[in-house]
Amino acid sequence: MKSAIALLLIALPLSVPAQSNAPSQWVLVQSTLSWHITHPVHEVDGTSHDAKGKGNCSAAGCDFLIAVPLRTFDSGDSNRDLHVMQTVRGAQFPMVIVRTHLAQSSLDAATIDADLEIQFAGQTVHYSHVPLQRTMHGTDVEITGTVPATCSDFKIDRPSFLTVPIRNEIPVTVDATWRPM
Amino acid sequence: MELPDAPIPTDGQNTTPQSQNQSQSQTQTQNPNQKPNQPQPGNAPTLGDLGFTPQQTLANADLQRKLNQRTHDLKVHQTLGLVTVVPLCATVIVAGGAKAKRNRADPTGPPIAPSSGAVDLHAALGAGTAVLYGFTAYYAIAAPRIPGVKPKGAIKLHRDLVWIHAPGMILTPILGGMALSQENNGQKVHGIASAHSYVAWTTVGAYGASIIAVSWPLHLKFWEKR
Repeated sequence: MKSAIALLLIALPLSVPAQSNAPSQWVLVQSTLSWHITHPVHEVDGTSHDAKGKGNCSAAGCDFLIAVPLRTFDSGDSNRDLHVMQTVRGAQFPMVIVRTHLAQSSLDAATIDADLEIQFAGQTVHYSHVPLQRTMHGTDVEITGTVPATCSDFKIDRPSFLTVPIRNEIPVTVDATWRPM
Repeated sequence: MELPDAPIPTDGQNTTPQSQNQSQSQTQTQNPNQKPNQPQPGNAPTLGDLGFTPQQTLANADLQRKLNQRTHDLKVHQTLGLVTVVPLCATVIVAGGAKAKRNRADPTGPPIAPSSGAVDLHAALGAGTAVLYGFTAYYAIAAPRIPGVKPKGAIKLHRDLVWIHAPGMILTPILGGMALSQENNGQKVHGIASAHSYVAWTTVGAYGASIIAVSWPLHLKFWEKR
């Protein structure tokens, strides 16, 4: 018993600095977000590199927030981008906001199982168990994954071309690099 | 492109079809007046922490109204533009019958005048095309402009081609009328009136290119299961 207490007293001071070295804040330094729409005669991607994000960690876990102005998505055609803005009520709800809460321990896994809360087009939708891949680049962490969004989730009237609407699925791929502060 | 696997539903069951379980999630309607940067529990970051400008984050009802009006006008523009293709093609098809033809039995003699019915049909279809084209153009011009957006991509070519088919759509019937008048006076079509068919074909070409420009690139995948 005495030896166990002695071991604890030795180990405790060692563990405190180790815990304080864990980053308590993360900031999004680089990102690529792309939506993809499919139509029988068209395949289109819209990309934004203008997302901003922040993560705050505490003993209870890490809370991450990513937001991106809808207007920054570029599909290569200004007419289509404006139509997208109209369809997703982008002037009324100009931001896409993603929130997630992760346990500290899950940040070290190669695949992060994330529960995402997404605010988009005036709706808030929860996606459970979205797999995100984690890759280390020095101290930076690159997170990639795909959010399986659909038009119906966000109550978006599907645009049509030649009277045929686009597919309901509008997967959003995410590639975000986070840096500890 | 292959779509990603669906996430596992929250309730842990995966018995619904893919089209349904891909959207497996709890959906809540958001109050339009709700601020996106509302305080978050604990030390969760808020939208205000990210450094966006108010211009980027604030709702703009006037812009949404403009976007809605723009989409409405351009949908009508698209529909009318496609409808206009029908009389346009018909006008071109019947154009051969509205032209004076060389007398094969007497090549040196006067040309055979077209029947008045064929000429009237060609003229009527041409006039119908021009009227429908006018309505089509009206809806494109009336669609509200969105400040700060410069035309980019296929829409730029679509707009630039207006400078060819719009004058063509005005000139073609004028030249046709001049050609008909000259024929009715027993004259061989001459002068600028002889350019009627060239101007018409240029207009048809530019109009077709304008439609293709906003439809391209096409990836025909009708055979794929939806």
